[in-house]
Amino acid sequence: MSLVNLAHVCSHLNNATKARLGFTSIPNSNLHLKLCLALQNDGFISSVVRGGPQTPPMHPLLGIPVAKDEIHDLEPLTQSNVASRRLWLGLKYWQSQPVLSKISMVSKPTRRIHIDVTALREIVRGEKANFVEGLRSPGESLYLSTDLGILEARECVEKKVGGLVLCRVL
Amino acid sequence: MSFARPAKCLICSFSRAASVVGPRVPRRQFQLSAARFSDEKPKSPVVKEEPKKALETSKEDQSTAPEPKGEVQIRLRDLPRTLKPEHFREYTEAEKAALSQHYTPEQIAAIEAGEAAIDPEHLATQFSIREDPLAFKYLDDFSTIEPVVDKHVRAPETNSDYTATLKTEEDFIDDFAKFFAELPENFTMSDWVRFAETNRMTIGKEENELNPSSSLVPTLFRPGETLEGPTDKPPKYYDAEEQGAKAQQDEEPSDEMKALLKATGYTMREISALKVKTLVSHRVVNQTRLGKIQSMYILAVAGNGKGLLGIGEGKSEEPSNAQAQAWLRAIRNMQPVPRYEDRTIYGDVKGKKGAVELKLMSRPPGFGLRCQSLIYEMCRAAGIKDLAARVDRSRNHMNTVKAAYEALMSQRIPEDIARARGKKLIDVRKVYYSGRDAQRVGPRFQRPNLA
Repeated sequence: MSLVNLAHVCSHLNNATKARLGFTSIPNSNLHLKLCLALQNDGFISSVVRGGPQTPPMHPLLGIPVAKDEIHDLEPLTQSNVASRRLWLGLKYWQSQPVLSKISMVSKPTRRIHIDVTALREIVRGEKANFVEGLRSPGESLYLSTDLGILEARECVEKKVGGLVLCRVL
Repeated sequence: MSFARPAKCLICSFSRAASVVGPRVPRRQFQLSAARFSDEKPKSPVVKEEPKKALETSKEDQSTAPEPKGEVQIRLRDLPRTLKPEHFREYTEAEKAALSQHYTPEQIAAIEAGEAAIDPEHLATQFSIREDPLAFKYLDDFSTIEPVVDKHVRAPETNSDYTATLKTEEDFIDDFAKFFAELPENFTMSDWVRFAETNRMTIGKEENELNPSSSLVPTLFRPGETLEGPTDKPPKYYDAEEQGAKAQQDEEPSDEMKALLKATGYTMREISALKVKTLVSHRVVNQTRLGKIQSMYILAVAGNGKGLLGIGEGKSEEPSNAQAQAWLRAIRNMQPVPRYEDRTIYGDVKGKKGAVELKLMSRPPGFGLRCQSLIYEMCRAAGIKDLAARVDRSRNHMNTVKAAYEALMSQRIPEDIARARGKKLIDVRKVYYSGRDAQRVGPRFQRPNLA
């Protein structure tokens, strides 16, 4: 689990949304994929597709690349091509403003922050705990790497699991 | 609101005229229950109508509700929404007999003449009862000020004269002497009565004697009512309308104000109700080859206390001119500020202008405005009641105001976030109280449906 690469992803997503890009690609890794799927599940990004160095083909009806495309054959993941795979993300905008306006690392490569449920409850209520600022703005999310996968902070409280704090999304 | 009334005209019953039968003597009130009058019958939600021009209620109503003698009782909801000329009929013989018990023949003749003077068609066309949702639950044309229900109209404090003294016997003797000395040749009794009525009892301001300022609750008597009975001489009341009209005539709006009225669509009254305040004012200098030209710079905020806020800048060599510019621009620039529960902001927001970086933070109810003076004034103008603020780096006044305005305007509303993400966002504060606004529901807690 390289937080260095994750920090690069966060910076890249910030830059891409500021440039109002429709698509962007990030290096492929299981951590990135799980985090992107969590972001997609919460509506921050529109699509996550594992493709090659080139933009994956667009779905004729949806206009965006989709992971399960019946028309175009996506190249399956093999040991020979895994190094060249990239994650292609569809970015969302609403009223000329990016939906994912700011994503920033909480844990740093040199300082990982693990948090338990008690502290997480405080954070979800908007209070500072374990040197992590509370979620005080509407729609603010905090993603953690837990035993149950990558979860949002409120889901963690619901499932009573703690974990490594990854990033904060606004 | 429905006091029992003696027999009266239908239309007259909607305005509150003085009692004819006798004085309405209120009991002194030491409890919060409604006032009872000596001539009041047991309270019932009815509007008593005058016997002659009473509405012809349906026969079922008359059979179910027995009529008291000489009176027709009509409930408010039974009144037809629109009246027609045929709703008004002449007195019956029985009603005339009942009337003759109360009135002299001259009075009855006057009543009949008065009734005949009014065209039933006019009554029908000019009368209507409001049906809109904001209509009042009772009948009143609001033509008179009711001392108990309406806001008290008090005499101005300037009427008070704390140095006023009662006249001594010598003063009264002087008054008499003056009266007799100035007596005309053919004096009548009315001269004496006029003197006795108008002669002052105190020395000092006349208003202090006739219409003193009082912080007490006004009496329950209507004009022309006294303990002894009705009198012809109504006491003088402070006329708020007359004063307001006088004040409006005094000030004529300037050309800039007229342009503002035209641009914004506000009336003078609405503009005067806005909260406008000058926050920053200092001298600025323009260096030209002819020398330094000094001007006044003014930064003002305007708000209505209900979510509108604007800032305006003015610069002129004349300070008053700069202030007028700033105020009018502030009013013109007013924009809605999102307010959570009409008291605080949505989440924490940041603003930056120049070297001023600030952060505004939402706070729970009752927290108050714990922030520096400039942001405090802006929040007060906008109607934000709970807020904390932190101004980092520079604290330049002008840039602080601009950064705070920018921060207030950059709030993200949950509805927009939900639309953008395609997710349903729920305000947990509203989930209890069956989805309604917690502030409006108040203490009446509703048990959530657990089934």
